[in-house]
Amino acid sequence: MFDEFNKLMVAESDISNIKAGESVVGYEFNVQYPSYRGTFLSCIEAFTVDVDGEEIAPDEMAFFINGKEVLIEELHELFREYWFILDYAKVRVYRKGGLPQGSTHKVHVFMKHRIPYTGYFGNYMVLDAHCQKELAVG
Amino acid sequence: MNSDIKLGVTLFSFSGVYSQRRMDLEGILKTVHEMGYKGIELVAAQMVPEYPDPSDRWIGEFRNLLEKYSLELVTWSAYIDMGIRSDRDLSPAEIIQYTRNDMIYAKRAGASIVRTQHAITPEIFKRMIPFCKELDMNLSIEMHSPHHPDVPVWKEYLEIMASPDSEGYLGVVPDFSIFQHTPHEPAKKEFMEGGFDEEKLMRVIALHDAGKSEEEILSTESFTDFEKRSVHDIKHRFSAPAKVEDLGNLLPYAPYIHGKFHYLPANCVDPTIPFEKLIPIIKESGFKGYIASEYEGGDAEHTVEQLSRFVKMNTALLNS
Repeated sequence: MFDEFNKLMVAESDISNIKAGESVVGYEFNVQYPSYRGTFLSCIEAFTVDVDGEEIAPDEMAFFINGKEVLIEELHELFREYWFILDYAKVRVYRKGGLPQGSTHKVHVFMKHRIPYTGYFGNYMVLDAHCQKELAVG
Repeated sequence: MNSDIKLGVTLFSFSGVYSQRRMDLEGILKTVHEMGYKGIELVAAQMVPEYPDPSDRWIGEFRNLLEKYSLELVTWSAYIDMGIRSDRDLSPAEIIQYTRNDMIYAKRAGASIVRTQHAITPEIFKRMIPFCKELDMNLSIEMHSPHHPDVPVWKEYLEIMASPDSEGYLGVVPDFSIFQHTPHEPAKKEFMEGGFDEEKLMRVIALHDAGKSEEEILSTESFTDFEKRSVHDIKHRFSAPAKVEDLGNLLPYAPYIHGKFHYLPANCVDPTIPFEKLIPIIKESGFKGYIASEYEGGDAEHTVEQLSRFVKMNTALLNS
């Protein structure tokens, strides 16, 4: 049943460039948690992003949710930070100049996530979610 | 019709609709009102934006919507998210905290039942009795497939529920998944999309329905690795862990029932869960309360149609 939700992980909204004054310091796009219910960020066991086939290094990106920016490597510690399913998290990629306005890009997100309540006879379900979409920079 | 037994709906049924943003919470409440439902269940971790600590403002807005659409919040569904942390399971203090928290917000939102899960542990379940009394709230554990009444921890839970100490505050929410004896349509579709040959799958299901074991089924012809895993899956997920007669033993402690289903054809008969046997048992038991329509098929486009078929099937069974 979770497969149906994977398609929703990369949102169909535009990529936006991140600006600070006159500088473009990177770009960001929206992701939705691929399940029927929300989760705690600590349940994300792995999170990787490819843009046009190139993997983004974890130290070049960050995850923004609930008004806070956190590092990918911090996700597993954030057991009090809740991700509501209708709240888009922003994946921010810090790369000077961002992406050209109007260009389109293949964005692929992979998330390994633990379903915290599963375990009728002891084990948690850990799921691999993949989603790729072609997004425009708007 | 026996007016003590009412058909409600868990908003979980709208999972696909909600996640795909086809309807927001108000749209769903309006829809269930238009369908004639009076009682609803909210899965808090699904539709409460500020979960686990919704603001008074959100609770107020939610209560206004319930009033606007003449709906009663019957059940607040909570989880025992044992695996929130990466380094260890929740401690007893944390399980109590999450449970107390859900009960408080459930009370503020107007619910009278909190659905919890089996991982709560018998010790903590018992320890919640004074808080249940304080809030005048029932705390019930959902019994969901693959569980059944003979699972050791469930024997303990049922004893606790039966004990005079629990004074009716602790109970069970039987989920009809425990009576599901054959794969439903979405599961068949999933197997076929994964590469299971359709005719072979039908032969496997016929053998499963005839009571053949996994080994016996696998010896009848050759299977790919995916097909072998699927056969294993069929035997484990669709072998009705509970017997129909078990329902009668659960009902004295059940304030609420999950009428689980995955797909109803146009004739409104479920070939995978024996509603025609379960509903008469509920009628005869003297059960008072809601049977929730719980559509788990996930097909956003057909959710309302599926729920309508569910109501039609159960109204006929309740009236017969």
